Amino acid sequence: MTTLGRILIVEDDPNDVELTLTALTDYNLANEVVVTRDGQQALDYLYCRGEFHARPNENPAVILLDLKLPKIDGLEVLQQVKADGHLKMIPVVVLTSSHEEKDKMRSYNFGVNAYVVKPVDFHEFVNAVKELGVFWAVINEPPPGSVRKPT
Amino acid sequence: MTELAEGPTHVGVRRSLAYWNQEFQRIHSPILRYGFAAVSVAIALGVAFALHYYQFRDVELPVLTVAIAFTTWYAGAGPSVLAVLLSSACFDYFFTEPFYSLSISTRDLPYFLIFVAWAAIVASFSAVRRRIENSLRQTRDNLQVEVEQRRHREGEIRKLNQELGKRAAELEASNRELESFAYSVSHDLRAPLRHMVGYSELLQRQASSLLDEKSQRFIRTILDSAKRMGNLIDDLLAFSRIGRAETRETEVDLEQLVKEVVAEIGHDMKSRDIAWKIGALPVCYGDRSMLKLVVVNLVSNAAKFTRMRRPAEIEIGCVDGNKEEVEVFVRDNGAGFDMQYVNKLFGVFQRLHLPEQFEGTGIGLATVQRIIHRHGGTVRGEGAVDQGATFYFSLPKAQDAAERRATAP
Repeated sequence: MTTLGRILIVEDDPNDVELTLTALTDYNLANEVVVTRDGQQALDYLYCRGEFHARPNENPAVILLDLKLPKIDGLEVLQQVKADGHLKMIPVVVLTSSHEEKDKMRSYNFGVNAYVVKPVDFHEFVNAVKELGVFWAVINEPPPGSVRKPT
Repeated sequence: MTELAEGPTHVGVRRSLAYWNQEFQRIHSPILRYGFAAVSVAIALGVAFALHYYQFRDVELPVLTVAIAFTTWYAGAGPSVLAVLLSSACFDYFFTEPFYSLSISTRDLPYFLIFVAWAAIVASFSAVRRRIENSLRQTRDNLQVEVEQRRHREGEIRKLNQELGKRAAELEASNRELESFAYSVSHDLRAPLRHMVGYSELLQRQASSLLDEKSQRFIRTILDSAKRMGNLIDDLLAFSRIGRAETRETEVDLEQLVKEVVAEIGHDMKSRDIAWKIGALPVCYGDRSMLKLVVVNLVSNAAKFTRMRRPAEIEIGCVDGNKEEVEVFVRDNGAGFDMQYVNKLFGVFQRLHLPEQFEGTGIGLATVQRIIHRHGGTVRGEGAVDQGATFYFSLPKAQDAAERRATAP
């Protein structure tokens, strides 16, 4: 039986959100996706604060995190998640435009699980998102306490 | 603080002594100097008489000698001769029998001669000392001038250093600015491009059945242009990273590196008829991944510009392995270029061919030049239209590698 984990997308750009969701829908992976639009909202979701105080208890199976975000940037979110005893087990994939060595270094220093540069080519982008979704939400066994739903 | 506390009187005394010494040394008028001789002898005579009065015997000679010494010291050689003559005369007149006459009795003659000799010795000693003193003073003055100059120079150096520090700080600031510029280019410029490509492709997918051939070509052109711009941005970012990245220098076996690159590129060009020729290449010193980028750029350029040749000939070799530098060349029999535009070859985004003829962003050779310059080498190109092109780059040879080979049997 294939099970699917919930995916948390942290992405400020509506176009990127739409394209990512399109890619996930193409492969029937979009049924359990939560989109947050900045670092603050992402942390609110993870800590069940504010508008997310009533969210389901299970943590997402993977976080797809952009680096350049309003309010609290991606690296800060990553740092907080990986420093928190309850959240640090959630796999975090940085999905960014940045090729910069500095960003990669800092992300891996904070303990990111994967670092993916968004390809300009749409086919490659769709493939990358699909493979990320399939790998992290389907193939990979998430840490205990994450949501797993039969598909 | 301590210097100020203990210093004043001590320093003051030394200063005033030095001052008076200098004042006396400055007596240049002959009247004053000879007058000084006469007065000294007169005072000595007075002192001698006074001592005589108080029953001190045989003191006239030392007292007069002192007067001669003083004269020599402060007034110089000429006045000292006068002082010797005056003292001798006075001694003869007042202190040797017969008294108050300039004649000398045979009994006193030895005394008199001894006095004159003694006075001469004292005078010459004083003269020597004076000369030494003079040269010492001169040396001291020179030293003082030098110290002054050095202090001045040090001040200048300090000023220059400060300026240099300021420059370095400014440079660092502008470097940081540039870095953050490249960073936002990398982040912000690529995102809209990705959306253009993404939505164009979605449009193509969803509406292709509704669009005529012309409209579909428009969409394809949008896609191609956006992708080309994406490549330009990526190349430009890679180019700017080369300037900022730190080089990790090691010994690099150029021959192995070239063979590796040729194998990779040759693999992609299986359908092409390319005659590769790789000469012996030495070991050099540099950042392997950067040097690989150089070779990849030059070799793939050679492959690209020989596209219409059957067979294409690409030769990679070394010009002269005996110098301190290695000069490597990549030669092809391809499209070549007009030497008139040779100075544009290595410019960023400079292209000598139309995009329909040969694709490319025009950043490959700029990257090559930047990397080679960072390694302290030079690049140049030679060519003629339709006669092929040759590109050269030089690199410092690996020192110990060369030595090892020289000493090997």
